[in-house]
Amino acid sequence: MAASRDYYLALCGRPVHFEKANPVNCVFFDEANKQVFAVRSGGATGVVVKGLEDKNPISFRMEDKGEVKCIKFSLGNKILAVQRTSKSVDFLNFIPDNPQIEYTQECKTKNANILGFCWTSSTEIVFITDQGIEFYQVLPEKRSLKLLKNQNINVNWYMYCPESSVILLSTTVLGNVLQPFHFKGGTMSKLVKFEIELPAAPKSSKLSLSERDIAMATIYGQLYVLFLRHHSRTSNSTGAEVVLYHLPREGLCKKTHILKLNRTGKFALNVVDNLVVVHHQDTETSMIFDIRLKGEFDGTVTLHQLVLPARSIQPYQIPVAGPASVTSPSPVPCKLYSSSWIVFQPDIIISASEGYLWNLQVILEPVVNLLPDKGKLMDFLLQRKECKMVILSVCSQMLSEPDRGTLAVIATVFDKLNNEYKKYLEAEQSYTMVIETGQSKSNPPPKRPVRTQAVIDQFDMYTHVLSVFTETKEASNKFIIAVLMEYVRSLNLFQIAVQHYLYELVIKTLVQHNLFYMLHQFLQYHVLSDSKPLACLLLSLESIYPPAHQLSLDMLKRLSTANDEIVEVLLSKQQVLAALRFIRGIGGHDSVSARKFLDAAKQTEDEMLFYTIFRFFEQRNQRLRGSPHFTPGEHCE
Amino acid sequence: MEAADPDVPPAKGEGLEIPGEQTGPCPTETDGDEPDSVPEELCAIPAEPDSVVEEAGAEPDSVPEDLGTIPAEPPAPQSNGPLSTADGKVDAREELSDKELSDSASTDNVLEDSSEFGPPAVAVGGSGGPAGEEVVVPAVTTHRDEDVTAESWRKRRKHVFVLSEAGKPIYSRYGNEEALSSTMGVMMALVSFIQSGDNAIRSICSDDRKLVFVQQGPLVLVSVSRTLQSEQQLRQELLYVYYQIISMLTQVSITRIFERKKNYDLRRLLAGSEKILDRLLNLVESDPSFLLNAVRCLPLPASLRDSLGALLQKAITSNLVFSILVARSQLVTTVQEKTVIEDCRLEPTDLHLLLNLISATSAFQAGEIWTPICLPRFNPDGYFYAYISYLDAECTVCLILLSTDKESFYSVSDCKKRIEEGMRTQGYLQALSAGGSSQSPSYSVGLVGVPDLRHFMYKPLDIPENYRQLPQFTSPELESPYHSERERHRLFDLYHYLHSRIHSGCRPLRLIYHVAAKETLLAWVTSKFELYTCFSPLVTKAGAINVLTKLLRWIKKEEDRLFIRYPPRYSPTPNPGKSVKGGRSDGAENGFFAGL
Amino acid sequence: MMAAGGAGQEKQLAPALLSFFIYNPKLGSREGEEEKKILFYHPNEVEKNEKIRNVGLCEAIVQFTRTFSPSKPAKSLHTQKNRQFFNEPEEDFWMVMIVRNPIIEKHHKDGKPVAEYQEEELLDKVYSSVLQQCYSMYKLFNGTFHKAVEDGGVRVLKERLEKFFHRYLQTLHLQSCDLLDVFCGISFFPLDKMTYLKIQSFINRMEESLSIVKYTAFLYNDQLIWSGLEQDDMRILYKYLTTSLFPRHTEPELAGRDSPIRAEIPGNLQHYGRFLTGPLNLNDPEAKCRFPKIFVNTDDTYEELHLIVYKVTLSTLSYSSMQPTLDFCRKLDSIVGPQLTVLASDICEQYNINKRISGSEKEPQFKFIYFNHMNLAEKSTIHMRKTICIIKLLSSRADEDEEIIVKAMSDYWVVGKKSDQRELYVILNQKNANLIEVNEEVKKLCATQFNNIFFLD
Repeated sequence: MAASRDYYLALCGRPVHFEKANPVNCVFFDEANKQVFAVRSGGATGVVVKGLEDKNPISFRMEDKGEVKCIKFSLGNKILAVQRTSKSVDFLNFIPDNPQIEYTQECKTKNANILGFCWTSSTEIVFITDQGIEFYQVLPEKRSLKLLKNQNINVNWYMYCPESSVILLSTTVLGNVLQPFHFKGGTMSKLVKFEIELPAAPKSSKLSLSERDIAMATIYGQLYVLFLRHHSRTSNSTGAEVVLYHLPREGLCKKTHILKLNRTGKFALNVVDNLVVVHHQDTETSMIFDIRLKGEFDGTVTLHQLVLPARSIQPYQIPVAGPASVTSPSPVPCKLYSSSWIVFQPDIIISASEGYLWNLQVILEPVVNLLPDKGKLMDFLLQRKECKMVILSVCSQMLSEPDRGTLAVIATVFDKLNNEYKKYLEAEQSYTMVIETGQSKSNPPPKRPVRTQAVIDQFDMYTHVLSVFTETKEASNKFIIAVLMEYVRSLNLFQIAVQHYLYELVIKTLVQHNLFYMLHQFLQYHVLSDSKPLACLLLSLESIYPPAHQLSLDMLKRLSTANDEIVEVLLSKQQVLAALRFIRGIGGHDSVSARKFLDAAKQTEDEMLFYTIFRFFEQRNQRLRGSPHFTPGEHCE
Repeated sequence: MEAADPDVPPAKGEGLEIPGEQTGPCPTETDGDEPDSVPEELCAIPAEPDSVVEEAGAEPDSVPEDLGTIPAEPPAPQSNGPLSTADGKVDAREELSDKELSDSASTDNVLEDSSEFGPPAVAVGGSGGPAGEEVVVPAVTTHRDEDVTAESWRKRRKHVFVLSEAGKPIYSRYGNEEALSSTMGVMMALVSFIQSGDNAIRSICSDDRKLVFVQQGPLVLVSVSRTLQSEQQLRQELLYVYYQIISMLTQVSITRIFERKKNYDLRRLLAGSEKILDRLLNLVESDPSFLLNAVRCLPLPASLRDSLGALLQKAITSNLVFSILVARSQLVTTVQEKTVIEDCRLEPTDLHLLLNLISATSAFQAGEIWTPICLPRFNPDGYFYAYISYLDAECTVCLILLSTDKESFYSVSDCKKRIEEGMRTQGYLQALSAGGSSQSPSYSVGLVGVPDLRHFMYKPLDIPENYRQLPQFTSPELESPYHSERERHRLFDLYHYLHSRIHSGCRPLRLIYHVAAKETLLAWVTSKFELYTCFSPLVTKAGAINVLTKLLRWIKKEEDRLFIRYPPRYSPTPNPGKSVKGGRSDGAENGFFAGL
Repeated sequence: MMAAGGAGQEKQLAPALLSFFIYNPKLGSREGEEEKKILFYHPNEVEKNEKIRNVGLCEAIVQFTRTFSPSKPAKSLHTQKNRQFFNEPEEDFWMVMIVRNPIIEKHHKDGKPVAEYQEEELLDKVYSSVLQQCYSMYKLFNGTFHKAVEDGGVRVLKERLEKFFHRYLQTLHLQSCDLLDVFCGISFFPLDKMTYLKIQSFINRMEESLSIVKYTAFLYNDQLIWSGLEQDDMRILYKYLTTSLFPRHTEPELAGRDSPIRAEIPGNLQHYGRFLTGPLNLNDPEAKCRFPKIFVNTDDTYEELHLIVYKVTLSTLSYSSMQPTLDFCRKLDSIVGPQLTVLASDICEQYNINKRISGSEKEPQFKFIYFNHMNLAEKSTIHMRKTICIIKLLSSRADEDEEIIVKAMSDYWVVGKKSDQRELYVILNQKNANLIEVNEEVKKLCATQFNNIFFLD
């Protein structure tokens, strides 16, 4: 069990199962739609298309017009494109169970060979030939294509990143000059080309940058070109490394990160939850890197070591005969890191031999034990999608034995959490500001900041961590208070308004342990900021701690919106004169209800007092109405 | 005032008063047991039948009324002189039975004392004496026999003890002296212990009490108080007690007695006069006159006051030095012998003590009294001879004539007749005795017409010829919310408190504005006046100032009614004697003129 | 004892301590054994019988006053020449302090000096509290009387008393006692929330890493910022630190980083920390770690601690339950020193910012003393010897709210306010101001100095 807790990478539970590749059955994968095509005998005996998302596969037949080189649906599965020759691509308006006639498009450039094609939208398609690229619009009803743009350039190989709809072309003899193109709404824009530094000066002028060593992926919202460099250029450091080139929409592509793998051999890359995962076949382990974590910065590039010790992907059982099977005999363990694996960006792993498609997942729980440094752990977790519960559990864990954190550590953790929390609050605030000030017309209209799981607010902390923690018997009250104060301190550090229930918790705890003097000092320095509820809470403590009364009155006074409360408090303490003086002090004595004060005076059973109050109001009547008598309305007979 | 005296149930009074009244011919003979002080003067009265008859006949109907209104009172010092010696003996014998004092010693003692006031009495009179004894006892049971170990005794607001240097009890406000003799013993021990260190004890303070010690000649007076009063104020009160005793015995005689006999039991001379001290102590706590050391004048139209003064001025005889007219124990007017005025004046203290003595003695309410009395502040060692007589049936208006000649009873009594005559013909008497009329002697604070003002005490310092005048003050009667005794005590506590602050020995102040729990008070001393005011606690400072100005304006307007502005004086007498304060200490008879 | 001489022929003698003794009537109840009652007597030279007599008098007075209020016996005795103050801090243990009234010596024409005792000058409240503090201070460093007797009988108690009071009594400055002695308050350092929280977490972390540290107090510029000790213990400890320990190690607190003390500290050069108690030089292996013991929470847990005072440009204190070793000191020095140094400058910044904001540089034309009975917070711009009489005005009464404004003969105005356990005294020297103007001034003061608390007008 303990071991299994170590695996932080796993294959998804419900993979896509397809008929494994064999002479009669060719398998294709479309990165754009994440679909697997199983084409049996050229399609004559049927084509089965399965995607990760869609449960029910599409299957149809098409007449066998020769070996299929490449087959892809347009976005939305309306048009099917099939490449059979190196000169042309065939199209077919796809309507299920309704065979259509195909139409064909030859590539414009004479004696160029089509390396491949990719859909950039539901009706736009790009042909990549060895001499350039051609950008077409498909007109299904006319059953023809219209060339939108084309560009001549020698191409060694190409790579397409659907998420960013960027096509990367490998040009020049060495192939290490990469030319990116960006496609959007019928336009094709050429981005600045850039050169990949090759490990060592190439011996001969032959293609020396292979497509296998390049990957494209968006990490933290930015498009990167990842280059797997087998031998570090700097001779001293052995072992391969992954070099990240940042490819911005406009501007130059820059080398920004280097991930040190410290080993050599066969590697494969994935990007999961903004982590770069590097699979190493020889050791059958995977390493993860987070470019947001601190690395050593040499002025231009940041060097990253692996975040966690390399671990194998969690062992995987293949359900025999797939989910459909009624009788499920004992599943067979799946061979991980097999040479038959093909890896696609960002997180796809396909075992052609087995006929499975998975996407790779990160499991956070094990990470907690693999990263002893709580600060670093938080930095790591806060960047992950599904982090909330893990973070909260980490917090509870560091507050309780056996592996209790020191206050210093606890403080750093709180600070990191609140830092994230504050960022969100600020975003929210500026958003609402924009909305209110009606600048929403200004385009682009602001979009509501999304609240990621990394935002752990006071309520989360209160309900999941602190309220539980303060109940624990094991912890010394000293520690409990210290922790609470640390959290309050941290919130204040980021100028986050502390919620009442937290103060309540602090006070409750202090009272539980009779630490009234402590409480008094906190209030004295306004550590617990003023509020009516807090003042009332203090009032309720008066019976056990008399000074609370003074404290709460002060608070009400400072609030300056609580005059009525002040009067009530004074009256409840039978300080009728004080109440009346106060009212007069704020100039409310002409409007205040005489009845209320007379009643209060009566309750004191102090005739003297009653006399005084009565006379006071008689005089008020005299002044206001010219007669000492009360109006019937006041019920002061 | 009597009515206010909490300790005496009127019901008792009625019955007990009767013997006193029955001895119509000699009303003043009724009760009391003061053996030696004044007998002989009293004998004068029966010797003057008609006056007595007249007395009796004059207002027979008045008697029952008296009974109705006037509660029982302790015996007066001057009463039942005739039996004095006998009583003295009785005392002595009693003492003999339980005390080490030898019979002879005691009688001898008595005679010695008496000698100070002239020859022992010879006259024979009614059998008021025993009756008197009886009177004393019941009237007293209320608190004189209080259990001194009881919580209730400890809880008393203020105890006052008088003891002799020998530690012998002389007076205790609550509880009987015998029971307290050990306590008083300790007091004396403390006093002398500290004295032995060439030092003097002043007071002991605990969280809730002040114990103040005063030593006057052979007497030690101790006050144990829970009030807010300052040490000085308590000391002052003790001095009042001391002076009251002096006013009955004179300083010299006391000194002498104790010179003769260290452990003499002074109660034998004071027996029966506890009531006077009790009353005094109640008074000092509730009557500002003592705090302010000033007299309260009966508000009167200046014209009326002047004509009354004129009346007194006319009705004089030689050796008559002070004529004092009082109504409802408030001063109407006083006239002094010119030469006396030259270098001294009647001290308020003396007047207070005199009035207290009179009011404490119901026996005075019938007929004419001729009794020696000492004015301690004026001259602690000499006697005046006081002629005291009420002019109306209700005993509200009282005339006091002080003479220096003990033989001048008739001439002085004659003055009284003239005055009475004058007042009757002019109808002044009605004007004075008519209570509750528009000229109501005491007035309501409402007259000032400012709502926030609850009460005040005003002592002018700018009366013309102030230096010759009795210091005076005016103050409205206490109304709600100060009707209950508790509240009144509280208020006077506060007044005492302000007074002590503003007149603080080491750090006197000009002005105090005090927002207390139940009222707001202001004390203010200027060259023109001394003022204490009590406001509603909700008054604002601006409001208070406003009230003050209104109040001062009102007083200015009323000052002729409220105060004696221009004191009348006797026209020079045939043989003008320039007075000498404190004549020869042994001035046995005519203590005052001894100095001439 | 001789204060500044009065005008011309007059000579003024300030109040002086005549004697100070502690006794327990139960110890020598039998005849002839009276001397046994006496546990401590100053001055010791006094002849035996004299001692016995004076003790006897005190017993007598206490007994006597019990006849009137058994529960509340005498607190003080006023005589012409002196005042005696009684205090029974523990059952049957009585402390008595006799103070001579101030004297004005007038010289007659015949040149004979006549001593005139100022009987009204001394204030019971002040000297009673001084007497109480004597006990508290003793207890802080020695524990209770009873404990001493339990530990080693009367003999031990006598030794401790002798040892302690022999020195302590000399530090009583009776002539300069005043209102502030009555309050015996704590002056808190004004600080913004964030800096305060930083200090909080600093202290928590320190206590975490130095397990033998039980409590910590944190002061800056002789003002308290944080106390882990309970209020009453802190109160007397604060008094000790500010009136005794710190003055002995004076140095410019607010000098900040570039204060020259660096030179003074042997050893560490990276920060400015040093021990005020314990070892002076950490590099000296011979340096001995003797820390004063203190006793706290004596009425429940009765803890015996070691007082460690460590000071950078500001001070922090820790109270450890175990005997701290030299290693411990080094560790503390290395952990606390640097952090404190940083905090120090943070606070110093804050301090200056606050000053700039409140613009409290310029002295207001009124002087004031503020005290809050609830948290013992004390704020004052002066020692109010002159106007001390005003405490009578307020404190004489129960704990009702009240206000009092007086105009002294000197035409100074003095205002005293008492509102829900808070007391404020203000002196204004605007000679010809009237009541209302004075009131306005005070309102202003409250608005500037105390607007964040509920202070009834």
